[in-house]
Amino acid sequence: MRSLFTILLAATLLLFAGGTSTVSEPQSAAPNTPAPEAPGSISNSPLSTRVVAYTIDAKLNTTSHSLDATETLVYKNLTGQPQQSFPFHLYLNAFQPQSTMMTEIRMSGARGVGADSGWNEKNRGSITVTKLEVEGAGDLTDKMQFIQPDDHNTKDRTVFQVILPKPVAPGASVEIHMTFHDQLPEVLYRTGYKRDFYMIGQWFPKVGVWWKDAWNCHQFHADSEFFADFGTFDINLTVPQNEILGAGGDLVSSVNNPDGTKSAKFHADDIHDFSWTASPDYTVVEDSWTGSAGPVKLHVLMSPGHMASAPRYVQALKGTLAWYGKNIGPYPYDRVTVVDPPHGAFNAGGMEYPTLITAGTAWYMPKGVLAPEDVVNHEFGHQYWYGMVATNEFEDAWLDEGINSYVEAKSMAALYGENTSMINFPFATASEAQFLRIEYISQPDTDPITRFSWKFISDNAYGGVTYGKTGTVLLTLEKVVGEQTMIAALHQYFLRYRFKHPSGEDFLKTIEDVSHEDLTWYFDQAVYGTNVLDYDIWDAHSDRLNWWKKAVSRNRSTDDIYRTYVTVHRKGDFVFPVDVVVKFEDGSTATEHWDGRDRWVRYIYDRHSKVASAQIDPGNKVMLDRNFFNNSYVQDGDYRAVHKLENMWVFASEWISQVLAWVS
Amino acid sequence: MSSAARPKTFASGAELVWRWQRILWWIFIVNLVLAHFAVRGLVDRVSPALIHSFASQRLVNGFDLAALMELAVQPDSPLETPGPVVFHYSVIFAIFMIFSTGGILATYFFDQKPTTTAFFEACGDHFWRFVRLLVYMALAFIPIGILIAICSAIHASFDENLNSPYPAVYFAGASSLVILLLLMVLRLWFDMAQVIAVADDETRMHRALRRAASLLTHNFGSLFWLYLRISLLAWIFFGLGMYLWMYGLSPLSITTAFLVTQLMLIFWIATRLWQRASEALWYRQYQAAIVPEPTDSPSPASAPITYSTAMN
Repeated sequence: MRSLFTILLAATLLLFAGGTSTVSEPQSAAPNTPAPEAPGSISNSPLSTRVVAYTIDAKLNTTSHSLDATETLVYKNLTGQPQQSFPFHLYLNAFQPQSTMMTEIRMSGARGVGADSGWNEKNRGSITVTKLEVEGAGDLTDKMQFIQPDDHNTKDRTVFQVILPKPVAPGASVEIHMTFHDQLPEVLYRTGYKRDFYMIGQWFPKVGVWWKDAWNCHQFHADSEFFADFGTFDINLTVPQNEILGAGGDLVSSVNNPDGTKSAKFHADDIHDFSWTASPDYTVVEDSWTGSAGPVKLHVLMSPGHMASAPRYVQALKGTLAWYGKNIGPYPYDRVTVVDPPHGAFNAGGMEYPTLITAGTAWYMPKGVLAPEDVVNHEFGHQYWYGMVATNEFEDAWLDEGINSYVEAKSMAALYGENTSMINFPFATASEAQFLRIEYISQPDTDPITRFSWKFISDNAYGGVTYGKTGTVLLTLEKVVGEQTMIAALHQYFLRYRFKHPSGEDFLKTIEDVSHEDLTWYFDQAVYGTNVLDYDIWDAHSDRLNWWKKAVSRNRSTDDIYRTYVTVHRKGDFVFPVDVVVKFEDGSTATEHWDGRDRWVRYIYDRHSKVASAQIDPGNKVMLDRNFFNNSYVQDGDYRAVHKLENMWVFASEWISQVLAWVS
Repeated sequence: MSSAARPKTFASGAELVWRWQRILWWIFIVNLVLAHFAVRGLVDRVSPALIHSFASQRLVNGFDLAALMELAVQPDSPLETPGPVVFHYSVIFAIFMIFSTGGILATYFFDQKPTTTAFFEACGDHFWRFVRLLVYMALAFIPIGILIAICSAIHASFDENLNSPYPAVYFAGASSLVILLLLMVLRLWFDMAQVIAVADDETRMHRALRRAASLLTHNFGSLFWLYLRISLLAWIFFGLGMYLWMYGLSPLSITTAFLVTQLMLIFWIATRLWQRASEALWYRQYQAAIVPEPTDSPSPASAPITYSTAMN
């Protein structure tokens, strides 16, 4: 999921050539066509360890905005021990006023929903399991029990568990049949409907993950996402015939029914979640891209009024696919679907599901604002960091959002320019990396990166630390191990842990393995700690060595010897080695390397020239430094920035005065 | 007023502004000085962070928004919001303009060089009248406020219920245009009431408003077209100036940018004065057209100002 802070920003001219896009008018046929098997087809040789196999038959009622469905889950017990109790997520029950998610939103807001937002009944959602049977054990509906492993809020019904009469042996499978009813909320948070648009995510009872020798099945929180096991999905969707469908799977068949509905069957392997969308108003843009793992079909479902952004989505998607293919690893699926939510459903946008992402744009989006490109880049990145490297988003949100933010900064810079990857106007620019840093320095010291996602001090802290700080920590790490090593480490991490559930330690260990460096000193501070990194030039001045004598020359300093003092101060508690460059008026320079361990260091030079400037970290590679403005001291003041700002503010003030005078 | 007698107020108004351009410079300088004071604190706070730092080059060589945001999110941020201070200085400017309007209109109406004393006497004479007009104007804003609320509700309904965003966008554009035109009509009405108050030494503002409404009703086309034409010129020049500032100037052209922005403001003030001058001229010629010339000692409808020496 992309934070709204950055979704609201970004985009420039698109640079990447690709296949020709074709635009189809809305049609009743589903956009996806049965796909040929990709090289190394997953049905022949699974990419993942398939723990689950879901078969769901669901019917959408567009009048009541509800779903009625049956689900069969075949769970293979690969936990290495007998399992008798099984927890399930019922995420849609979070859309109730007393749920844990809504309680947390009331506390500090989340995802653009303000803390003071009132309750609207249209936002109520629910999922009700009306029947649960286990093959060989019969009807266990009355054995279902809601549990609240995180906060003991008994009003929260987002997790239930069922205890089987007898355990499932290691290596054996259990088949669970459920009948359930979904009442969809009007889009408040990722999922639901808006008018005749449906974005259906987190919509079926989903079993927890056996991870680190325990069931991992957290409640649905305001600031957390998801975690699930890989497997196969066979989904049969029955919807009105005028609906255009998009889904995180390949379309196997689509048949029209006599009652005015159609049934579309989708199949997907080696993913851990299945989402889908429906709307009669989509304009379908189809394209393709070929990577090292074979052709990838690109389906872009555009909402009314947004078509101008379609080529931007497509070009961004192709550019991102190419960047990831080159730097991180092959994209093994044969499809990507981009869903463009309609106006009013903004909160359904900026979200990732396996092979399906939701984007976000508006009826007018200046080319200098790279928001459409950014959101596609970010959400597609999640196909790697979440989709394939399936980390626990509840407990290690930084591993998907943070790594993804870092890669986003790198890939957006490569695609759209180092300094123009978010805002690119002649009169103003901004980069993705700098925006990450702004997110971090707005909330640098309340929470460590590794905190469970719902335990941050606030929603802002969750966003600032998980996205901004993690991204900035990794950007700063380039200063230590080198940019190429960082990319190589990510590549290695991807290869090691794709289709697995790695932990934070796995990620950090991979970086150390690839860089051949012990980075404990850095990780302890940056990842596990809350120390703030801030260095400043405390003092930089020159004094004539024989100060008690009359100066030889007023205008030239070459005849006198000056003693120059440069004092570098570590303001924050974060210890990080830095370079200090001192320049003198005669053009000579001195470069110092300070380990930063003491609180300050003073450098003294006796030269025939006075100090011109002193600068910590030239090039601003230490992105974690919370304040670049105090990193340097230039002897000759430059007033141009002040004058520029002053001019803008004076003009604005004059203008406000004129408006006020006009109305009075 | 017959079309034959319709005065060429559009061009003559501009001539008046040019002839009495001291007023323009005076307003401009007051506006500039007050704006300068409004942002002084902000400039003083931000200067130490920028002047001796290489990081400020991100704002000089181009304009890196992230650099500005970085300043804003620092714990001891020098970028405290200047909003309240700017608003206070804007209120002072608005009061200054209410005060000055009497003298400005007298100068334009009588088209004679006033003494400083006479100018400020006219300012003082009409200040409280115009404050009373302001109260009436606040009342007149109420129905427009209601209209804005209704339009907002309709816009929200379109936005909420229609699949295409365009109906809501078009409605917002159209309703904004209508509201802007209504506000301009309202401004014109009160402008004319001020002219009547000065020209006829009308002390009762409700009567001035009634007469202005009658004038406006019977001469709406000519008066509003006069007002609108000048407004359009103002907006066009403002748009061109903004375009030049944002797209035409090099980031390093800081002095030129200052000159462009101030030129935009001078033109903006000039067009506003042009409207006032044209209105005053229109009314003077309107009076001449309907009031028979006295045969004996000619005198203006009212003569509150003595013109002897130049305004200092």
